[in-house]
Amino acid sequence: MSDRARKPLPKPAPESVPYWEATKRHQLELPKCNACGKFWFPPSKSCPNCLAADFDFKPVSGRGKVYSFVTFHRVYHPAFAGEVPYVVAIVELEEGPRLLSNIIGIKPDAVKCEMPVKVVFDDVAENVSVPKFTPA
Amino acid sequence: MIEPSRELRDACAIVGTGHSRLGRVPGVSSLDLLVEAMRNAIADSGINVKDIDGIVCRGPDDIYSHHQQIGARLGINVKFSTSLDNGGASQILAVAIASMAIKAGMASTVICGYGRDSWSRTHSSEEARVKNQTTPDDQLPKEFAPEYGYFGAVAAHAFGATRHMHLYGTTRDQFGEIAVACREHALRNPDAQMKKPLSIAQYHEAPQIVSPFGLYDCSLRSDGAGAVIVTSSERARDLRQPPVLIKGFGSFNNLRGWFNDDNMVVTAAKKSGEIAYAMAGVGPDDVDTAQIYDCFTYMVLTQLEDYGFCKKGEGGDFVASGALRMGGRLPTNTSGGQLSEAHVEGMLQVVEGARQMRHTYPADRQVKDAEIALVSGHGGNQVCHSTLILGRA
Repeated sequence: MSDRARKPLPKPAPESVPYWEATKRHQLELPKCNACGKFWFPPSKSCPNCLAADFDFKPVSGRGKVYSFVTFHRVYHPAFAGEVPYVVAIVELEEGPRLLSNIIGIKPDAVKCEMPVKVVFDDVAENVSVPKFTPA
Repeated sequence: MIEPSRELRDACAIVGTGHSRLGRVPGVSSLDLLVEAMRNAIADSGINVKDIDGIVCRGPDDIYSHHQQIGARLGINVKFSTSLDNGGASQILAVAIASMAIKAGMASTVICGYGRDSWSRTHSSEEARVKNQTTPDDQLPKEFAPEYGYFGAVAAHAFGATRHMHLYGTTRDQFGEIAVACREHALRNPDAQMKKPLSIAQYHEAPQIVSPFGLYDCSLRSDGAGAVIVTSSERARDLRQPPVLIKGFGSFNNLRGWFNDDNMVVTAAKKSGEIAYAMAGVGPDDVDTAQIYDCFTYMVLTQLEDYGFCKKGEGGDFVASGALRMGGRLPTNTSGGQLSEAHVEGMLQVVEGARQMRHTYPADRQVKDAEIALVSGHGGNQVCHSTLILGRA
């Protein structure tokens, strides 16, 4: 298959390698500051809340709510031609950070802002698992 | 609240405006389109190109040292030049930086502009048309986006539209009025890319792109460029055109991100506008015409709220009242905007704001008795904003 026939896989930046290692085990883990106690996303090497560099990747509940969402009708990449219409959402986790993901297991026109959702893992390739969300 | 310097109020003026051919201009690079707009601005001003001693400009993100390439094409050495990196907020920032450089004595006459070849880039092949992408591949996100089928600026702004609809009951009819008003303005502009009328029924019938946005919520793919010339208000008095005073400007950048806080609903336009109003010594009630960065219909609606033309959440009712049309409370994007004239990253809106202040348009294009124009710029990853307030001398 050509590159354009296959859905793109995440290409982790150095700072997000632990995130993708955790999703491989079907765990959602985000950087958590050991100084101020807050989680943040996307991963980086210091806390955007207090600038401390002392942190660990820690599990989160995987529960949250839909902050906002859109439905793709247009095909921007040929590998998604069979997927439209599909929902891309901003999910606000219970712990605070917001993640971009897909909402699956529900018709696009039934998705609402503030809807409770929980994480599920999509094994998209060998050793690559992508967190998605479904109604809680 | 930041208190901007009052010394810059009315200190500088726009003394020349120009635009290139707009829409589909195959076979011309973005650099040559910008030089075309600059040549038109120079001719309009009556200034000799050799008297220009500053350049602040921008083009597609993959052009390195943009201002150097423009200076080479203009055949001039200058005291001050740079190219900017704030996306669609850069073009007003260029005028602001030009004013600051002039006030600081670093330059006396600065040319500002932006040019792009987005129509040509996205129509060079069938694959390019499907991809519909102007950003170079190596500048796109590598994770947390493509694996979810999340591509392009339409979706980013559509998130804001969804959230606004959820919070305030805003409707697609109201977004549609923005598209229809811009098209009505474009039909009076012989250089606009779009030539046919657009009805609200056609707006609703058009294909969905990334809902809640359909085709006519989205700005155009355009080749084109715009340019303006800035000098001191004192020097402006002796030049050919009626000077357009730069009364105030501001910028604000919500660098914590579009997805964070409430940034997609209360945009950086709010604080950028507060700074610009304070510098200019005016408020929203004084503004006679607005040129609002309309990459998508929703962005006009939310910025009108952020600039205080109505309360947060009331933008839908404000636009539905006909406020944006000629003769309405606030004729907006009077050349057709990026939705219907051409999408040149806000530069044509700087040009149009200045031209409205000259009162040289035919009656059907002129906002009657307009004394104050507000121009907005928005861009980067949706978080950079800039504001320009222009006045009739």
